[in-house]
Amino acid sequence: MDGAERKKDHGELKKMSAENTKENNIALEVTGISKAFGSTVVLKNVDFSLKKGEAISIIGSSGSGKTTLLRCLNFLETPDTGIIKVNGKVLLDASEMKSLSDEEIRKRRLHFGMVFQQFNLFPQYTALENVMLAPVLVDKKNKHDARSRAVELLSVMGLSDKTDRYPHELSGGQQQRVAIARALAMDPDILCFDEPTSALDPELTGEVLSVIRDLSSRHTTMIIVTHEMSFARDVSHQVLFMDSGIILERGTPDEVFGNPKEERTKAFLGSIDS
Amino acid sequence: MFQTVTISLLQGFGETLKLFLLTLVFALPLGLFISFGSMSRFRPLKLLVRFIVWVVRGTPLMLQLIIIYYGPGIFLGRNLWGSNDEGRFLAALAAFSVNYACYFSEIYRGGIQSIPLGQYEAGYVLGMTKGQIFREIVLLQVIKRIVPPMSNEIITLVKDTSLARVIAVYEIIWNGQSFIKSAGIIWPLFYTGVFYLAFSGLLSVLFTGIEKKLSYFRC
Repeated sequence: MDGAERKKDHGELKKMSAENTKENNIALEVTGISKAFGSTVVLKNVDFSLKKGEAISIIGSSGSGKTTLLRCLNFLETPDTGIIKVNGKVLLDASEMKSLSDEEIRKRRLHFGMVFQQFNLFPQYTALENVMLAPVLVDKKNKHDARSRAVELLSVMGLSDKTDRYPHELSGGQQQRVAIARALAMDPDILCFDEPTSALDPELTGEVLSVIRDLSSRHTTMIIVTHEMSFARDVSHQVLFMDSGIILERGTPDEVFGNPKEERTKAFLGSIDS
Repeated sequence: MFQTVTISLLQGFGETLKLFLLTLVFALPLGLFISFGSMSRFRPLKLLVRFIVWVVRGTPLMLQLIIIYYGPGIFLGRNLWGSNDEGRFLAALAAFSVNYACYFSEIYRGGIQSIPLGQYEAGYVLGMTKGQIFREIVLLQVIKRIVPPMSNEIITLVKDTSLARVIAVYEIIWNGQSFIKSAGIIWPLFYTGVFYLAFSGLLSVLFTGIEKKLSYFRC
C-alpha cells in the first residue's frame, strides 16, 4: 500500500468512526482507574474509551502516568480502583482482582498485546522463534502452523530475510519490528505500544513508525504512548494528554495539537519539536 | 618404584574423583533450592537461608569437615557415620555437598537476578506461566551467565577435595604422603600435583567448549 492510498484509507476510517458512535463497536472502556505506589499517586481516576479499528495516542511528559496506564491494561500492574471493559465485557475490576487465579489473569491479559520500549526480545531465539514461541507454548498451536503464521507476520514487518537472525544480529528498528510481530502472533484485540521508538537511534525510528502506520491503516486497534508528536497527530483518531496522573486534555489530533486549551498542554507541546 | 607410586596415586585419585563427582551430583541441585530460598518472599525463610549461607561460607571447609564427622559423636553421643572408610567418605561428601551448594547458590542467585525484568514481562504479556518463563526464557540465559563463575568454583572443588584427608579419606594426597613414612621419599607428594593439573586442564577445555556452544546469542 503506498502513502497516498494509506492516507485516503485513514481519512475514510476517521469519517466512518465519527458517524458510528454507538456502543457495539467500542473495543475498550476504561473507567476510574487509580494507582498509587506507596504515597505517590500515579494515576487519578482515569477514564477513556476506544473504538474498534481506532488508534489512540497518549502523550505527556515522563512521570505523567502514561506507561503505568498501559501496564495496568496488560495486568503488569494492578490498579487500586477502576474497571476495564473489553468488547463490552468486564476484563478487570480492581475490587475483584484478589480473587482472580493466575490462569484467569493469563487468559485475560491476552486481549492486549504489548510492545515495549526496550523490545525485550528473547536473545536465545531467532526472530522466527521469538514470534512462534507463545503461539506454541500458550495457544498449543502446532509448530507448522505457528511457523507459517510467524513467517507471514515477519514478512508484513518487512523482515522476510531476517527470520533466522538472532536479536543481537538485528538493528534496534528490526528488533522492534520483530517484537511487534511477536505481539501480533497472539491475535490481541488491542495492541499497546510503550514508547516504541524511544530506545532507537533517530535514523531507525522511521521504519518502526511506518509499520505502525501500516497497522493503523489495516484498522488495528491500538494504544500508542509516544513522544513522536507529528506521528501521533498523523496516525491517531484520538489524543490524550496526561499530566500528573490525570488526562488533562483529550480530543482529535487537530483539537489537541492545533488548538490546545490547557496551559500545561501548550507548554508541553511548545517544549517539544514536532 | 615409579610404577608402584603411580598405581597408588591413581587409586587415590579415583577416590578424589569419586568425591568430586558425587559432590557435584548433590551440590548442583541443592544449590538451586538454596538460591530459591535466599530469594524467597517469605522473610523468615529468606533470613534463615541467608544465615546458613553466611555461616557455611564464613568458616573454613576443613573445620566443617571435622565438625560434621566428629560432631554427632560428641554432641549426640552416637557416631552417625560409622568409623570405617565408607563412613568417613560419607561425612566428607556431606560436608562438601553443603559447602559447595552454598557457594553455587550465590552464583545461581546472581545469575537469576541479573536477568532483566523485561524478559519476564515479555513472557507474561504473551500469556506464559511462571514455569514456562523460567524454563523456556530465563534458564538458558542464566546458564550462559553463570558458566564462567561456575567453572571457577568447580575447578576449585577439584583441589579442595584434598581437605578430606583431615578425616582420613584416602584420596590422592593421603596416598602420596604415605610414601614419606613407608619409603622415605617425598617426590610422590609432589607428583600428585600432575594429576590435579591434568584434570583441571581437562575441565577448563570442557568449560571453554560450553562457553563456545552458548556463544550463538548474547544476553
